[in-house]
Amino acid sequence: MSSAENRTAASGGFWQDTGRRGIASWILSTDHKRIGLLYLYSVLGFFMVGVILGLLLRLELMAPGRTIVDAQTYNALFTVHGVVMIFLFIIPGIPASFGNMVMPIQIGARDVSFPRLNLFSWWLYAIGALIVLTSLFTGGGAPDTGWTFYVPFSARTGTNVSLAVFGVFVLGFSSILTGINFVTTIHRLRAEGMGWGRLPLFVWSLYATAWVQILATPIIAITLVMVIAERTLGIGLFDPGRGGDPIMFQHLFWIYSHPAVYIMVLPAMGVVSEIIPVFSRKPIFGYKMIAVSSVAIAAAGSLVWGHHMYTSGMSDTAVMVFSFLTFIVAIPSAIKVFNWVSTLYKGSISLEAPMLFALSFILLFSIGGLSGLILGAAATDIHVHDTHFVVGHFHYVMFGGAGFAFFAAAHYWLPKFYGRRYREKPAIVGWALMFVGFNILYFTMQVLGMQGMPRRYYDYLPEFANLNLVATVGSWILALGLIVMVVNLWRGLLRGEPFTGNPWGGATLEWSIPTPPPTENFEEEPVVTHAPYDFKGTGIP
Amino acid sequence: MRKQLIWKAVTSLLAAPLKPLVLVALVARLILPAVSHAHVPEEPGHHQGHGAPPGRESGELVGLDERLGEKIPLDLVFRDETGRAQRLGDLITGPTIILPVYYGCTNVCNFLQGDLARVLPAIKRTPGKDYRVLSVSIDETETPRLAAGYQKMYLASMNAPFPPAAWRFLTGDAASIKGLTGAAGYRFQRRGRDFMHPVASFVVAGDGKIVRYLYGTSFLAKDVTLALVEAGQGRTGATIRKVVGYCFSFDPAQKSYQFNLLRVSATVVILCCGSFFAFLVLTGARSKRKSSGEK
Repeated sequence: MSSAENRTAASGGFWQDTGRRGIASWILSTDHKRIGLLYLYSVLGFFMVGVILGLLLRLELMAPGRTIVDAQTYNALFTVHGVVMIFLFIIPGIPASFGNMVMPIQIGARDVSFPRLNLFSWWLYAIGALIVLTSLFTGGGAPDTGWTFYVPFSARTGTNVSLAVFGVFVLGFSSILTGINFVTTIHRLRAEGMGWGRLPLFVWSLYATAWVQILATPIIAITLVMVIAERTLGIGLFDPGRGGDPIMFQHLFWIYSHPAVYIMVLPAMGVVSEIIPVFSRKPIFGYKMIAVSSVAIAAAGSLVWGHHMYTSGMSDTAVMVFSFLTFIVAIPSAIKVFNWVSTLYKGSISLEAPMLFALSFILLFSIGGLSGLILGAAATDIHVHDTHFVVGHFHYVMFGGAGFAFFAAAHYWLPKFYGRRYREKPAIVGWALMFVGFNILYFTMQVLGMQGMPRRYYDYLPEFANLNLVATVGSWILALGLIVMVVNLWRGLLRGEPFTGNPWGGATLEWSIPTPPPTENFEEEPVVTHAPYDFKGTGIP
Repeated sequence: MRKQLIWKAVTSLLAAPLKPLVLVALVARLILPAVSHAHVPEEPGHHQGHGAPPGRESGELVGLDERLGEKIPLDLVFRDETGRAQRLGDLITGPTIILPVYYGCTNVCNFLQGDLARVLPAIKRTPGKDYRVLSVSIDETETPRLAAGYQKMYLASMNAPFPPAAWRFLTGDAASIKGLTGAAGYRFQRRGRDFMHPVASFVVAGDGKIVRYLYGTSFLAKDVTLALVEAGQGRTGATIRKVVGYCFSFDPAQKSYQFNLLRVSATVVILCCGSFFAFLVLTGARSKRKSSGEK
């Protein structure tokens, strides 16, 4: 951080803090951009940890039987991979890092509504992450329940589930506070002329996401407290022997965790909605529909949790209702995809790194979404439930969707904040390697799942060996692409060419202020006179 | 309990078109007075948690201690369906699935064996050559004649022809039964005409080494195949489902305290969020005074 500060200090902006010095100028700063960068460094750090765990998982599955670790370690590996990737990387990923950095500027505000609460959110995140990390090395060892913490196993296993669950509980509060902050900011701090119909689509997506964070996260918090109570006090909330209900845990868990999928993917859709019009030199097609579909996804997505539980013993009526509702969610998602594609139509498309990541988002998210319909239909779900098909599916949505959008956002916005840019060629090479490796890895997983390879199994039948080897090789290509991308970004943002003005030709407010942005963003409060994708109105050719 | 049994029967029938003979047998079992908690499987010994299933008061006599990697004595002698004495070592010549059950069982043993009968045709290995199945009665009073009837029923219920020599139904004296179940860590107790026992089966290699336990009454073809592959290679496998499902009486009306807890918290969450939204909308546009001192 300090080297970054020195390198870019010359170009000023928010990097030249007027108050504190050194590390304190970061971890005690209430500037939304610094907090956004704090989140960015934290989530990227945990992403790397998750990637290494994922590579180890794939190495273990490269051949049948024991390859590098024993069965218990394997259980811990996939649990920790899931917990780290979901709670520490992808849920806070786009909203807390890029949301914090970009959203206040996009609405013409000097900061978020509650800057101190914003900093407190990061501190809660850091404390929660520390607790989760501590749980791996203390007590009975790393949790081995899977990231879903299903009872009765999570209530009985001797591993350190209580502490891990408590860490996730703290992380949940961080998420809720960020949500409250963003909702208030978007309601209260919009610049003059920035009506709801002129909000950039990234802001719309963050608004919908924030409501999901506020409404759904308390439920997981209550559920996790219940698990801790079950483990420490033996209350029997989920124990049928004492009048409890084990299925109730799954309901409560997924009432949060399915909407959490939309916490992850809605901001990603927002990023793509920003990048596609800018790199097509065309106003976005169907602005209103994209904005409304964000809210519709958040609303309908909160009613479909039961599709994770078709084989858990719910009533057939419930299965049919949840299956129907799941198909409903596909509609607003498809509206977005159609609108993005329509924006591209007859556009002057420039295939630079952010656009390549955004376009691959559309393809990978579509594959993930369509395979989601196979899982959402009760009849086909029974066949592929708990197989590698599911693993492939959610990696297409989470990584191919939210992950690729995260990288798109990094290539699109980070030069603006660092005042320096990465080299284009290595960025494209990194993207190509990632795209190819990704599909080899996860498409193979889907095929394996169709053939009956179960998920979370340490060992498998010899007939699955070849495809597992292919998937593992895919994971290496993907990892190589990631390394190329991260190194290129790192070098470019620290020592790259200066990045000034508005080279992408964006029409949203962040492109109208100096690079890097000044501490309070705007010298004078802006007055918005044009729509966010009205390139002609801003004089952009 | 009765409802659950009926539901289970219906789902298992939906899952696999069992032959009418099995249907009749299952329905007949259900019509007979069901003995509540006759079978109380427990979680493996090392996970003695607080969620004790009903019937735990019988002490430590019922349960399962995994003995992965240990060998069962192959010189024990049981009677086959014809009444002929058979050494276990002569029956277990390769990977073998062993089901400790009793044929007079009024519920779960039927589901256990019925479900195995459902998945065996889906296993892409040759029965009799690549693997065998042994149902072993834990009731020393049961006769080969009874065993023969059940063999006929389960083989008839399969969708594909299955060689009778590949699924044997054994009976034996108390000492042999104890010898086998003791070696597998399987603890059960007689209660009147019935038994309390874990609902679990296990897979052994040709030399009698226990390579995997399979819990519950429902089998997945891939789990069974994986266990057989491991048994063929003499490797022991990690247990996949570590907690055994168990029979319980469940009345949704009685879980009221949990419902109340949920209702209260849901109401609080929704009220708070609703008033937050109303506050933002009603208090109107902008109170945009930035305190620059905060930086």
